[in-house]
Amino acid sequence: MKETSRRFILAPALLCGPLLAAGQLLVIFFAPLEESMGLIQKIFYLHLPLAWWGLFSFFLAFICGILYLLRRAPFWDVLGEAAAGTGLLLAALALLTGAVWARVAWNTWWTWDPRLSTTLIMCFIYAACLLARRLAAGPERRAVLSSVLWIIAFLDVPLVFFSARLWPQTIHPQVLTNARAGGLEPEMQATLFFCLAAFGVFWAALLTLRCRLGLLDQALEKAAGDARAPND
Amino acid sequence: MIRAALCIAGKDLTLVCRRGAALPQSFLLGLLLIFIFSLSGAPGEQVSAQAAAAVFWLSALFCQVLIFNALYALEEDDGQRDLLLLLPCPAQSVWLGKALAGLLLLLAAQAVFAPALVLFLDQSLEGSAAEGLLLLLLADLGLAALGSLLGALAQGQASRESLLSIIIFPLLLPLLLAAIRIGAGVLSGRGEGAAEWFRVLIAFDAVFAAAGLVLFGALYGARE
Repeated sequence: MKETSRRFILAPALLCGPLLAAGQLLVIFFAPLEESMGLIQKIFYLHLPLAWWGLFSFFLAFICGILYLLRRAPFWDVLGEAAAGTGLLLAALALLTGAVWARVAWNTWWTWDPRLSTTLIMCFIYAACLLARRLAAGPERRAVLSSVLWIIAFLDVPLVFFSARLWPQTIHPQVLTNARAGGLEPEMQATLFFCLAAFGVFWAALLTLRCRLGLLDQALEKAAGDARAPND
Repeated sequence: MIRAALCIAGKDLTLVCRRGAALPQSFLLGLLLIFIFSLSGAPGEQVSAQAAAAVFWLSALFCQVLIFNALYALEEDDGQRDLLLLLPCPAQSVWLGKALAGLLLLLAAQAVFAPALVLFLDQSLEGSAAEGLLLLLLADLGLAALGSLLGALAQGQASRESLLSIIIFPLLLPLLLAAIRIGAGVLSGRGEGAAEWFRVLIAFDAVFAAAGLVLFGALYGARE
């Protein structure tokens, strides 16, 4: 591994620890308590960055899918898998934190809310796509298959969201809309933006680490193929 | 391209109908699902229109997975896929041909499932039949477009039936929600807001027909 690329991987990994810790300090000591929900609202500073970076990760996988099909460079395949895997982890964590919040705020772990359902369905889709990738035979077929999957999975997202919004709902999640409608105190806003940035660095660290793993895996696969070739 | 697609559809329909157990298997599985679902309520209790519509579309979904597996399994051996690729027509005609064949088989399967709803789940058609037919056509178009694209993806893979279902079911969620809502309205005669759901169906069909046309060539031609 070249020195520059190692630095590129190490920097976000080393930086994200202190940044996340500082973000937690801000959440605990700087951000004021929300009036109606109290302490549980603080989960918001964890939940929103996880959800946003998860979604962004899926979008990155979609872009990588298109770029791979156009250019056929193996790097886009590796980056696409890293993005989808990281996105799945963050989206699953967002669901988990959301469920804890919902339990206290709406007295239920789960409700048919468009955002919740869309995130859950995306988790299902991307988990299935990552599984399908594992089962595919041959590196080129695997890369094409994953690229197609990243593209159609992302195309489905707006459809899932709109259909989930049309489905009759039992609970109106006013709490959520109020909290996100921009009615945030300046201190809350500052904390939120800091947390978003800290999680962005955390996301970059995960992505680059996974990307490095993927590249090493690819090199190993190629070396094994080359070693086998003379005997064939 | 259209002519080649029609030829491929004709060939597939003949092969699937004449040999193999795929077709009766998918019909029987759907019927069994509907029959077993009739046990979900207490004896004499009326199953709600929405539950009946849900089990009807779930049966259609399982049927779709089996049908598209069978359609793509036809060219699995001896490099027959390469022969199809060598045809003097765009690879998309394979996608279109298999989607057409799948669409006809799905409609045939649903013609069997619909009476089963009346028989086992005690449903009746209170709403408009034209709306029901339009629903069948639009929803099956979406099922065929996505099924034909993902069938090519699962071709030749180990455990492809289960692989196809875990990918296709979450992707089909918008179509399934729309089909269940409209279907419940058609069965019960209280179909409010159907126009918006029809819009979802049309959007779904358009998105995945376009995705199929654009992406199929790369997917079907990929070497191992």
